Amino acid sequence: MAQDSVLSDELLHHLMAVGHVDILVGVPTLNNAGTVRPVVRAVHQAFSRYFPRDRSLLINSDGGSDDGTPSVVRNASVDDTGTVTVSHSLRTVHRISTPYHGVPGKGNALRQIMTAAELTQARAVAVLNADVTGITPEGVAALIRPVRDQQFDYVAPVYQRHPLEGPLVTQLVRPLMRAAYGWQVRDPVAPEFGCSNRFVTHCLEQDVWDTELGRVGIDLWVTAEALAKGFRCCQTGLSPHPATPPRTPFGELFAQVVESAFVCLDLHAPYWLGRNGSEPMQLASPMPSAALEAPVVDGTRLTEAFAKDVENLRSVLEYIVSGETLTNLEALAEKLPARLRYPDALWASTVYEFLIAYRNGVMRREHIVQALAPLYLGRTGSFLRQYATSPELVVDEALENLCREFERSKPDLVRRWNRA
Amino acid sequence: MAQMIANAIRQAGTNFLESLAAFLPRMVMTLAIIIVGWLIAMLLRTIVRAVAGWLRINVAAERFGVAPLLKTADLPPADALLGAIVFWLVWLGFLLSGIDVLGFTSLQGLLASFWAFVPRLLLAVVILIIGFVVANFAWRATLLAAVNGRVPSPRLLSGAVRWLILILTGAMALEQIAVARTVVLTAFAIAFGALSLAVAIAFGIGGGGIAKRILEHQFPEQPRSSADEISHL
Repeated sequence: MAQDSVLSDELLHHLMAVGHVDILVGVPTLNNAGTVRPVVRAVHQAFSRYFPRDRSLLINSDGGSDDGTPSVVRNASVDDTGTVTVSHSLRTVHRISTPYHGVPGKGNALRQIMTAAELTQARAVAVLNADVTGITPEGVAALIRPVRDQQFDYVAPVYQRHPLEGPLVTQLVRPLMRAAYGWQVRDPVAPEFGCSNRFVTHCLEQDVWDTELGRVGIDLWVTAEALAKGFRCCQTGLSPHPATPPRTPFGELFAQVVESAFVCLDLHAPYWLGRNGSEPMQLASPMPSAALEAPVVDGTRLTEAFAKDVENLRSVLEYIVSGETLTNLEALAEKLPARLRYPDALWASTVYEFLIAYRNGVMRREHIVQALAPLYLGRTGSFLRQYATSPELVVDEALENLCREFERSKPDLVRRWNRA
Repeated sequence: MAQMIANAIRQAGTNFLESLAAFLPRMVMTLAIIIVGWLIAMLLRTIVRAVAGWLRINVAAERFGVAPLLKTADLPPADALLGAIVFWLVWLGFLLSGIDVLGFTSLQGLLASFWAFVPRLLLAVVILIIGFVVANFAWRATLLAAVNGRVPSPRLLSGAVRWLILILTGAMALEQIAVARTVVLTAFAIAFGALSLAVAIAFGIGGGGIAKRILEHQFPEQPRSSADEISHL
């Protein structure tokens, strides 16, 4: 039985003592002592304010932190003193902090949380990100309510943030996943989500947990699996999370996200190859209102190296992209960094051709993804510079046009995919 | 006197005819062996090419970067090359077997030497193939790491890595088939030593500033590139 290997004897005893729960919130951690306290507090406040009659459990799955994260979780104060109306849960709120076994990575933590959710028969499950301190009790409730009250199986968060933020999502993952899966999910690679027990059981039955995708790309896989396997999905608005310095260097992060996206597309090809266009996804709770500031980013710095990179990588790119795309890239590289405009259509065909090359294995797959990174930086730099001073609405429209360009180019991708 | 001459000529003629009678069957046998060997070698070449095609050797050669090198060296595609190697090895074997049947004393032992040489030749070919694959992999990995890591002159660096591995592989292959072993080893040792020394001197004296910049780039006080300045997710 899978539970035997995922849950330690001690955790099993704890869970048996807890019994069945209505709501389970999981918080995977790895050296998050500095940020996890507000997350735990927000969860408990959400339990007492919004779900006082529900049996609830907070489970912290820790990957072997050496900064005392588990004890911070265990000892975090849950006083609701910051609010005018002090409320208390009518049922016992359980809190467990436990290490998970195996290779450190979110996949193993999530597997443990899901296994615990299945064992305790939790009706609604939410997974939170311990890296950010901006989560509020309302945010936790927003992830749980659509599952608990509206019978959704999967709730994807929509972070309220400026459209120029998160370019890896807006420029690559969002348009690619939207065009392929046919659903307009704003943050497909979000580390937080809500889900039903039915979806948990389904996920635990998949062979993904011991793979590289399970180790580093589980966030994206969870979203893609929910879409591809026909679960009832919705989105929910979350308040802005203060940006924290990324723990993973860009190159590694880029490789993890892009490889995960490509592997998911390969896994779910039978689902998405036949889909055309895209459908909007229901927003279960509205976006919290907040003023957003445009990030201060110098796009020109990202485009500075574009010309040299294309020239240096020519002998690699000619195996990956078509002659036409390579010619267009070289023509683009001839322009001054300050005048670089990477068109949507060229970017869409570049990404699709990299996806096809990845599928065909024209060279070692990690090399294909590494070769895309400089092109992504060029595209991102060009976009950031072009829209640096534009109003949010204009940037949103430009991002929508990019998604539509990916959808327009999809028949070409499908044709090449089927031919490969 | 005339009788003696006639006897001698007759004896010579008889000896010649006897020798010819003894040699002709061996000659026929040799020709038969060579022709049959050629047919078998042709058949094996066809089989090897078919199997190589089925195993998509050309695609693998393309993927591992062997195909462009073959093209540069004006050699046929990988499956045809493999077939040609098998053809020539088999046919040469039959050819030497046929020559051995002729019974020429000076050519005795040629076949044994050839078969003793074949494993070394095959090993050398294997070394070369592995060398090509490793060199190409290292070239691409170095190029991509250098471009993404903003290391100066990525093509020069990756090209140097590729050629170093190819030269090393070539020297190992030649050493394996014992072609001018001493010359190859000495030449390689001198060239490699001179290259290392030249690089060290150039880098240490002429390129001290570059070395400093590279080391500073590799071990920065604040490890953040322009790509790391924004939150990508």
